[in-house]
Amino acid sequence: VSLWRNGGSCSSSPSNGAVYPASSAVMNSVKKPKMEQIQADHELFLQAFESEILNTLLLFGMKLIFSLPLLPIYLHRTLTFMSHRNGRSNARRKTFKVDDMLQTVERMKGEQDSLSLSSHLQLTFTGFFHKDEKPSQNSENEQSSVSLEVLLVKVCHKKRKDVSCPIKQVPTGKKQVPLNPDSNQTKLGSYPSLLVSSNEFEPSNSHMVKSYSLLFRVSRTGRRAANGLVNGEANENIDVIDTPSRKKRSSSHREEGETTETFVAQMTVFDKNRRLQLLDGEYEVSMQGMEDSPVSKKRATWETILDGKRLPPFETFSQGPTLQFMLRWTGDASGKSTAPVAKPLATRNSDSSSPMETRTSNHRAALMAVKESVSTDIKTRKEQVLCEPRQKLRIFYQFLYNNNTRQQTEARDDLHCPWCTLNCSKLYSLLKHLKLSHSRFIFNYVPHPKGARIDVSINECYDGSYVGNPQDIHSQPGFAFSRNGPVKRTAVTHILVCRPKRTKPSLSEFLESEDGELEQQRTYVSGHNRLYFHSDSCMPLRPQEMEEDSEDERDPEWLREKTATQLDEFTDVNEGEKEVMKLWNLHVMKYGFIADNQMNQAIMLFAENTGAHIVRRNLCRNFLLHLVSMHDFNLVTTATIDRAMARLRQIKEELPDAEEEEQQQGQALVSAGACNGNSITSTGGKQGKRTKSALTD
Amino acid sequence: MVLTGKRSEKGPACWKRRVKSEYMRLRQLKRFRRADEVKSMFNTNRQKILDRTDILNQEWKTRRIQPVHIMTSCTADSGFSEFSKQVIPLKTLNAVASVPVMYSWSPLQQNFMVEDETVLHNIPYMGDEILDQDGTFIEELIKNYDGKVHGDREGVISLSQYSDNEEEDEEEEEQQDFKVEKMEVCDGKEHPEEPRKEVLKFPSDKIFEAISSMFPDKGSTEELKEKYKELTEQQLPGALPPECTPNIDGPNARSVQREQSLHSFHTLFCRRCFKYDCFLHPFHATPNTYKRKNLENLVDSKPCGIECYIEYPAGEVAEQAKTPSKRTVGRRRGRLPNSSSSRPGTPSVSSETKDTDSDREGSRAALVKCSVLVFCAEGNSRCQTPVKMKLIGEAEAVEWSGAEASLFRVLIGTYYDNFCAIARLIGTKTCRQVYEFRVKESSIIARAPAEDEDTPPRKKKRKHRLWATHCRKIQLKKDGSSNHVYNYQPCDHPRQPCDASCPCVTAQNFCEKFCQCSSECQNRFPGCRCKAQCNTKQCPCYLAVRECDPDLCLTCGAGDNWDSKNVSCKNCSIQRGAKKHLLLAPSDVAGWGIFIKEPVQKNEFISEYCGEIISQDEADRRGKVYDKYMCSFLFNLNNDFVVDATRKGNKIRFANHSVNPNCYAKVMMVNGDHRIGIFAKRAIQTGEELFFDYRYSQADALKYVGIERELEIA
Repeated sequence: VSLWRNGGSCSSSPSNGAVYPASSAVMNSVKKPKMEQIQADHELFLQAFESEILNTLLLFGMKLIFSLPLLPIYLHRTLTFMSHRNGRSNARRKTFKVDDMLQTVERMKGEQDSLSLSSHLQLTFTGFFHKDEKPSQNSENEQSSVSLEVLLVKVCHKKRKDVSCPIKQVPTGKKQVPLNPDSNQTKLGSYPSLLVSSNEFEPSNSHMVKSYSLLFRVSRTGRRAANGLVNGEANENIDVIDTPSRKKRSSSHREEGETTETFVAQMTVFDKNRRLQLLDGEYEVSMQGMEDSPVSKKRATWETILDGKRLPPFETFSQGPTLQFMLRWTGDASGKSTAPVAKPLATRNSDSSSPMETRTSNHRAALMAVKESVSTDIKTRKEQVLCEPRQKLRIFYQFLYNNNTRQQTEARDDLHCPWCTLNCSKLYSLLKHLKLSHSRFIFNYVPHPKGARIDVSINECYDGSYVGNPQDIHSQPGFAFSRNGPVKRTAVTHILVCRPKRTKPSLSEFLESEDGELEQQRTYVSGHNRLYFHSDSCMPLRPQEMEEDSEDERDPEWLREKTATQLDEFTDVNEGEKEVMKLWNLHVMKYGFIADNQMNQAIMLFAENTGAHIVRRNLCRNFLLHLVSMHDFNLVTTATIDRAMARLRQIKEELPDAEEEEQQQGQALVSAGACNGNSITSTGGKQGKRTKSALTD
Repeated sequence: MVLTGKRSEKGPACWKRRVKSEYMRLRQLKRFRRADEVKSMFNTNRQKILDRTDILNQEWKTRRIQPVHIMTSCTADSGFSEFSKQVIPLKTLNAVASVPVMYSWSPLQQNFMVEDETVLHNIPYMGDEILDQDGTFIEELIKNYDGKVHGDREGVISLSQYSDNEEEDEEEEEQQDFKVEKMEVCDGKEHPEEPRKEVLKFPSDKIFEAISSMFPDKGSTEELKEKYKELTEQQLPGALPPECTPNIDGPNARSVQREQSLHSFHTLFCRRCFKYDCFLHPFHATPNTYKRKNLENLVDSKPCGIECYIEYPAGEVAEQAKTPSKRTVGRRRGRLPNSSSSRPGTPSVSSETKDTDSDREGSRAALVKCSVLVFCAEGNSRCQTPVKMKLIGEAEAVEWSGAEASLFRVLIGTYYDNFCAIARLIGTKTCRQVYEFRVKESSIIARAPAEDEDTPPRKKKRKHRLWATHCRKIQLKKDGSSNHVYNYQPCDHPRQPCDASCPCVTAQNFCEKFCQCSSECQNRFPGCRCKAQCNTKQCPCYLAVRECDPDLCLTCGAGDNWDSKNVSCKNCSIQRGAKKHLLLAPSDVAGWGIFIKEPVQKNEFISEYCGEIISQDEADRRGKVYDKYMCSFLFNLNNDFVVDATRKGNKIRFANHSVNPNCYAKVMMVNGDHRIGIFAKRAIQTGEELFFDYRYSQADALKYVGIERELEIA
């Protein structure tokens, strides 16, 4: 389960499963037979869940590293069921005035100044743990403390002449820190603590500081130690400190020696974007021997994960050396914390915020909570975390496996998602999130006196198949789901704005449905999660074609042709009439006129659109006949006739070759009806089989 | 001549032989021609397909297919040393799910009426199994069509032993070809030296004798001769059938009567679809009896220019003109009481005419006048001078071409005495010339429209009360709901009120605006006066399962906002075609399905179920085949007609049947036509598949009997 705590990092090792009370007994190595049984049970559990967990993690890992376009990146605060995460409200917009902006900024600046002047960074060191030591009570006469030096490292902006970034190290103090202390014995007040004035974090005079970080340097006069590594031993209290910049850095230090050993660790306080990285909380930082070369960052890519190679961060934490400390931002040396938890989020959101960062911050918060929940464990080495409990709710995750005959329970006191550590804040949101985002599992909500129970079982129907919109696949042919490595894809941007009617959120929707698991199998992706086809050609509809309703036009081509041929069939309708009728029919079909009162307008539009054609084809009189006929049907007024004809005359005059054509018309009078030549050929006896007189009789 | 003599000696036997061989040749020729036609048609189709594929291929080429690391490769080893081993990387293609079967259909957004098919167009194939199982099916099917199968030549059922040399349906054409050919043959042989023009000489009787003996059922020799004459006459270039009016814009335009000029327009125009020879209504009413509501043809009392006929010095022409014009005006029910007497142009007239009109028409009349005046000015500036010259000199000697005369007669029936307007529309004549022509033509002049005599004009007061009774009547109609709903056909019974004999009344339909009865007819649906959305039973239209009529319902907004989609009236979606965007995809249930693109609310209109409108008999015949296919798109429209979306339709035809559907169908009366609307039964989310229960339409007032067919796609 330790896996859960490190959403980003990855390996699932059976040896880490010590969270469960049963397994923790292993470490005491008391009851061997029971242990075997437990081990077997554990194997079963892992069989059931491991691959799923791994895959889940993989997905998340991939997402973190590559931000796969196919996995939508939701801004959690914009999800409806997470709306409480959206801190902003639009209420202020109403009163917003541009002129106020400067004022506001100035005021804020002033406040900040006064605030930061008085605030400190308080570090309280709980202890230095090194695994190759025996528990401290066994070696009381031995060295019980190490000396710690804390330096504030300021990385400044490179100036033109500088070869590398100038670095300033400001010593902030030296303390003696207990070595492998027993958390039950010591009180908080007795811990050494250190204050760093926030003035230090102000821009320094000569150089513009890029980032601030704390450098911890622990030196201890070493003594030979037995190799204290116990295989299978695990520490449930391990804590992963991963600021994004310093992920998986540490490695175990197993050197033996009599000389003074020096361990170092560095943590970023403000990154180069001046974003606060260290919030109030309890930290455990893994230290590193000075002589060790840090693990190459490159190894931490997902490819190595895929190979199944394990990275050793947990062992680092189980074996030490680690330094534990509490961090507080205080207004004054003893005052309350002035750095509210939400503040860093706000600062992060200020620019180029990505879900990854958000997750990390949440992740960190989750870690603290995890500690609380497992603090009852036997091997607890630290006292209660000072954090006030945020939630009274206790959530029991009940893992059902082996055909739902076995179960293991894990309790948590917060509403973080155990898989991705997202802080859901509300039970409803948590359940919704679990259901929607972790479809490998089936979650069922069961009310519980102390809070809630969530039954977790493997979704047998989950086949890893793609549940997104197949259009995305279609639009990106190739090997979108190749597991052999990342593939480059054409970028598709979807703007997801959806405001459907929503039912009132109710926890009852997560209760196990009576009709079995049927409901569970349904994908929760609503909307267009299928590939559509053109209705005429059965060709797949491409995303860019989604918007137009292509096959639903009022006048499809065949109908336009049909009306023409149908009119051509008449033997007793002359070509001039036919042509005007065809033009008019096409006009009506195009615009879909349905009412008598549209006709005046329709006629004018007709004159406008086809006027030039009518003049060119010498159909003016037929056009007039058409108008008069419309008038006879009581559909248009004489005023419309007048206007339409006037427009036609106007068009005639505007036509560049109008005069020429008139001359041609004169000639045409002599030659045999060439002016309507086209229609003559089409109407010549052959096709005609219908007569209009037959229609009325 | 010697030659002919020789041939005649050989006697009729020789001729008969020649007739036969000639006939065979022509038949073959025809067959070849047909084969060529089919071939070329096939080729053009093929070309179309190729072009389309090319376009698609081009599109695909532009897309980049991502290379993949090839893991495995295929090798082909050869047993012979001289052939080297061939290696090619293995490329795996993902399986693509096949799409369901779709029979081709034509898209349509409005119903399309087709006639009954008297012959079976094709013998349906539905797999060998079915045919083996049920051999009698095809036979029964053919029996339904009285044994007639399309293209039944060599015959599935051999109709006649004479099929070698006789085809009933094509005989006519063949004979025509035949005879022309024959004639050419004869003439060509007899007068080989003569120019082609002279060929048109009547062939000798022997030929006809030979033909008639060869085909005795085609009539006697004399009959054949007559037929020959008839057929050859039509071959003259440019000739039109006698009943066809020559093109008024063409060179052969003749001077004809108004009715003749407008005959095509009047008969072919569908007053309901506003189209000529529409697809939906086989019978069109002619406008003869339509009454004119608008009194817009006021005599333009102001002269259109200096040379206007009004300004014409009072002389003999004016005196002549007075008599006929008086008559015409007098017929107009005294609307212009003094216009005839004071016509020669005092300004007072115009104001008077205006006053006599009703309020509504007054403004319109003013508008007309206004526009007319504008045109006057236009006309003036353009053609004033040349006309002047002509007029003074040769007032009487103007020649009227056939087209002009016809046009004049057409216009005089519309504009009556507004000669200025007529002249402007004719374009080539001045109003004075028109006036003079009018005087000449006085005997045949068009009459002013007669006011309806059947019903006395009603007072406005009554109108509202009537409307209230109508609403009650609708209610009544609904209560005594009969199971049968009949198709609407505009009634036309002049001088007869809509009583029990009226087809609308007997069919329990309302009279519509298309009916020829008076607008005050008791059976007319008055439309609604809603100011709301017309989507409750408060609205009489909604209650009567009708969509609001844009020309009757003037307050709800059904007749406004043509350009925008925001219509306040929600009861006019079918006519406006306000359909939702539908998407086609393989169904979750069976076959194809239709999916909605955007979410809709309950009772919102989704789409009209369009298709061919066929008679109930035709539907029974077609249904037999469809039932065999287990796929039917038939939908009962009313007692007379069925909508069949098999061949023509729109996307909603893919909606599957469900007993728990999310849509319902409702047959509504939409501007005189029954149409099927598909509406949302509940709120539907984006991307949901649409279903409706085919058996029960929700329209309470419209209950259907008849064959209930399930729309289940196998």
